[in-house]
Amino acid sequence: MALLEINNVSRHYRKGDEIIHALRDVNLSIERGEFLSIVGPSGSGKSTLLNIIGCLDAPTAGEIIYNKQPLRKLSDDALADYRKNHIAFIFQSYNLIPVLSVRENVELPLVIEKKWTKKEMHDKAMAVIDAVELSAMSNRLPRELSGGQEQRVAIARALVKSPLVVLADEPTANLDSQTAEHVISIMQRLNREQNTTFIFSTHDPMMQHYALRTVTLHDGGIASDIRKAG
Amino acid sequence: MRHRRRTFFSALTIASGMLLFITMDSMLAGMDRGAIDNMIALTSAALRIRTPEYAAEQDALPLDYGHKNVAEITSFLKNRPQVKGVAPRTRFIGQLSVEGDLKPVVGTVIDPAADSTVFSLVESIEGTYFTADNGHEIILGKKLADNIGVAVGGWITLYAQTRYEAHNADDFRVVGLLNTSDPVLNSSGVFMSYAAADTFLDLGGIVTDIMVGLHPRVNLHDFLRDAKTVKAEVKRQWPSLMVETCHEQEAGFFEISKTKRSFGMVYLVVLLLIAAVGIFNTVLMSVYERIRECGVLRSFGLRRGELTRLFLYEGFLTGIIGTTFGIIASLCSNLLLVTRGFPLDKMAGEAMGDFPVWGVVYGQWNLGMWVTISLFSIGIATLAGLIPARKAGAMEITATLRFV
Repeated sequence: MALLEINNVSRHYRKGDEIIHALRDVNLSIERGEFLSIVGPSGSGKSTLLNIIGCLDAPTAGEIIYNKQPLRKLSDDALADYRKNHIAFIFQSYNLIPVLSVRENVELPLVIEKKWTKKEMHDKAMAVIDAVELSAMSNRLPRELSGGQEQRVAIARALVKSPLVVLADEPTANLDSQTAEHVISIMQRLNREQNTTFIFSTHDPMMQHYALRTVTLHDGGIASDIRKAG
Repeated sequence: MRHRRRTFFSALTIASGMLLFITMDSMLAGMDRGAIDNMIALTSAALRIRTPEYAAEQDALPLDYGHKNVAEITSFLKNRPQVKGVAPRTRFIGQLSVEGDLKPVVGTVIDPAADSTVFSLVESIEGTYFTADNGHEIILGKKLADNIGVAVGGWITLYAQTRYEAHNADDFRVVGLLNTSDPVLNSSGVFMSYAAADTFLDLGGIVTDIMVGLHPRVNLHDFLRDAKTVKAEVKRQWPSLMVETCHEQEAGFFEISKTKRSFGMVYLVVLLLIAAVGIFNTVLMSVYERIRECGVLRSFGLRRGELTRLFLYEGFLTGIIGTTFGIIASLCSNLLLVTRGFPLDKMAGEAMGDFPVWGVVYGQWNLGMWVTISLFSIGIATLAGLIPARKAGAMEITATLRFV
């Protein structure tokens, strides 16, 4: 049984008199532990698909089924719980909270979960900060970090609560190639070690190279879905 | 609380609004209390006792209808624990003459020794109080004396009708000038002793008013309650006598004072609303600047209700901090006002007109107002977080993440 079933999902927006079809009848099945890239030209619907999978947006038609649970009929609070318990996001522009330190930013998902003591949150945060090799920067503010460091903090923040699914929107878009490769290797390692499902949208050929499955979107629909052998 | 600068400015706005409101309220209350205290100490005393016959014709200031049992009433009053002094007074109509010009006046006859147990005129005299031999001595209000061009040691001629309606005139030496905090007293006060008046007006010891002084109280309400208590006791003993408390004597002033306070309150409430707008604006800006942060929190699973509560709590905390600063600042300013006072004459000048308070006026503590303003400030700050927080919660998450 697939972890995520995306069945006949469409999403359109009204822009004045025009209707924009961001997604058209997308069907996709994603297993646990996949390292999947979604590629396509600008406007092909990559970010929209990620937002819908993460319930940041709702489809106009179709359904998302997560772990046999249809998400369409869930209440707003239930969707918030779904995001809290199963999903983590890595944003293209990092979206770190500027007044919180690195450690405090990483602790944020645990604070929202409300089931950890301060010490537990501290220890879990430091563990993932170690994993992304930023221990020395744990008390710094985001403005004191480079782009690559900020993205690593965003990865740490996403992984601190051990989510089943990580949704990353263009995670290497603002990084140089060396830093991008470092970030990808961290994601790969965590995918292997914790069986975390990574779904990321990207234009970066290097990311596409490392992905084990590539779904190509074109004009809101799936143009191809290729798995790497082995 | 990590948004320190924003929290600081919000708290500062709250504290400033509180400080302004409490200080103004203290000053207004102080002016009122000063005026009332002056009236009691200089003109109306705590109680005034008249015969019903005199009271019926009091506007004409007759020299008839005096008390028949002054000593008995005085002795009764002095036995009351609230009473600090009893003094007889009689008022008459006369005319002052200096170098031919006649000026109508209302004179007051007093027993100098007894009068100083009830009133505090002696503290405001330039020159001297009445001497032992006070047969031809007179004390005038300073402004009156200036107007007629007479100084201490100078002489004036006083014209009046005696008790038997004969016209009389006599010369009196000005021994002292009254320079009180009551502008009306300063511009129209004429005082002579019973020794002088018994001859000049053929009074024969007639006492029309028995004035009663009570021991002072910090709280005006307690003082007025004492006055009512003594009044009730006098009325029980002598039901026919007209007994008026200072509140009843100066009912007009108290009404005006109440109206003035209401207008003052309106002004202060407007000030407070302006401060509230400032608080709202600052917190609103705080939330709008953090719309994207709201999106991140929601993307990690924070519910809408939790987001709203978060901002409500932050607003509440900002209110607490601001109110604490406001209380500390108000404590300092009010302590200064209550102990050192403020120079009303220098601040208001001629604009005060005949309002019976002058010179240095002292502020008043008003705990009820402090509590009200504190709760208002905390409430406003908390509410200020609610509206924009609900707006942020209502926005689409994807829209908040794109918000700039």
